[in-house]
Amino acid sequence: MASRAPAATSRLMVGFRKWYYNACGFNKFGLMRDDTINEDTDVKEAIRRLPEQVYNDRMFRLKRALDLSMKQQILPKDQWTKYEEDVHYLEPYLEEVMCERKEKEEWAKK
Amino acid sequence: FWKTKVVSLSQRSTQRLHDMAVSKLPSGLLVASLENYSPVSKIGVFVKAGSRYETAENLGVTHILRLASNLTTKGASAFRICRGLEAVGASLSVTSSREHMVYSLDCPRDDFEGTMEYLINVTTAPDFKPWELSDLLPRVKIDKAVADQSPQIGVLEKLHEAAYKNALSNSLYCPDHMVGKISVDHLQQFFANNYTSARMALVGLGVSHAAVMKVGEQFFSTHTGAGAPGAVYRGGELRVQSGGGLVHALLACEGAAAGSAEANAFSVLQRLLGVGPHVKRGSNITSKLSQGIAKATAQPFDVSATAFSATYSDSGLFGVYVISQADSAREVINAAMAQVTAVAEGSLTAEDLTRAKTQLMADYLMSLESSEGLLEELGVQVLSSGTYSSPQTVTQSIDAVASSDVVKAAKKFVESKKTMSCYGHLANTPFVDEL
Repeated sequence: MASRAPAATSRLMVGFRKWYYNACGFNKFGLMRDDTINEDTDVKEAIRRLPEQVYNDRMFRLKRALDLSMKQQILPKDQWTKYEEDVHYLEPYLEEVMCERKEKEEWAKK
Repeated sequence: FWKTKVVSLSQRSTQRLHDMAVSKLPSGLLVASLENYSPVSKIGVFVKAGSRYETAENLGVTHILRLASNLTTKGASAFRICRGLEAVGASLSVTSSREHMVYSLDCPRDDFEGTMEYLINVTTAPDFKPWELSDLLPRVKIDKAVADQSPQIGVLEKLHEAAYKNALSNSLYCPDHMVGKISVDHLQQFFANNYTSARMALVGLGVSHAAVMKVGEQFFSTHTGAGAPGAVYRGGELRVQSGGGLVHALLACEGAAAGSAEANAFSVLQRLLGVGPHVKRGSNITSKLSQGIAKATAQPFDVSATAFSATYSDSGLFGVYVISQADSAREVINAAMAQVTAVAEGSLTAEDLTRAKTQLMADYLMSLESSEGLLEELGVQVLSSGTYSSPQTVTQSIDAVASSDVVKAAKKFVESKKTMSCYGHLANTPFVDEL
């Protein structure tokens, strides 16, 4: 599962993180961070729980990115996802799914 | 060691049962308890959130709430509620009627504290998660399918729909057009309006009053409920042609509200007319309806005519429920009406009256023998009137019913605007205005 280092929001790190975000390059396809997450069982369950609107937006972005990748193109610079606009929409659902799974495992141990 | 055990057991058996204790907390919550030293505690939360409080926008929300009681709450996930209750051997069940929603929890006495947390979470802080609600959809459909199979349920629901203009006309089941459309907003709004402390009663059997009060203090709620309209009787007719060989017909008039003296008269009249055989496989001699119908038609009719009575906080229904073969429906229903008319004209012997009264008292007292019956009776009484009348008081008020009251009740049935609902093969079934 995707494990990101817990981000401490400090003013020193923001510049670095912006640079890293742009260096990753997925924003050139118009994707957000949570669109690129590796889909294991937890993530699949979290995606199932997304509200309809958010889910449709995600699907659109993925389709657009796949289309661009097939054509070997990227979006024009003004349409790239900006660091500030990137919403970690999946994170709350994913956390909840992981908590529930851990709870089940705890019970099973007893 | 063995000797002292024996002594303490016999001591316990001579201890008097505590009386019912009822108190009201500042939040408006009514708390009642009866310490009967049972090894199993039974706690019920009664909420005035029955189907009568649904509005036109959220019809069916009580059906969903009834099924949603085991879902995730703010304090415990659905998984934890299920496993936590299983671990101690407790069981949580939800019943809903037209007026009340009842959450009842049985648990061993010693585990009372631990399991209360789950009950409190379920009744005060459910977390309506959209994906859990959409997973409920198959259960709603199963419930409805089972109800559709049963003519008794169908005829009762249709009767209420035909009899009232609002409130009590709402069905206990989610209507077809709302299946899948009840959203989290509907549920939250209904919850906020109806699950307020002032509309709840907490009843405990087999627990001390102090323990129940302590639990009750966690039930404070800052919501203020919306008012509910009174039920307006209109009297109508609904017929469902469904084929088959039988006709289920339910013919009723507006009866009396629960707890009034008139309600007792109607109940006695109900027993007088007959509510089903008292002796298994017997010939139902004491039932006036059965005897009257047996004279009217030579055809074997499968089950019965029983008198039907339902009471709610501000209204009631009283009438006759007849099941007959499709061809003889007209004769059977007319014979049943004739019996009630006979009582209305005063042909009522003193012996019949005492028999009906004794049967009613016996039925009432026997229903209090089981812990479910007792809990339900306590809860409904405490929630509707704020106090509890002991069985002695109730039996005395039943005894006080005179034959003139019963005759008056029967006259009311004969003269007032009737409601009818029938289900089955209706070719030979009269309309309500033909009776």
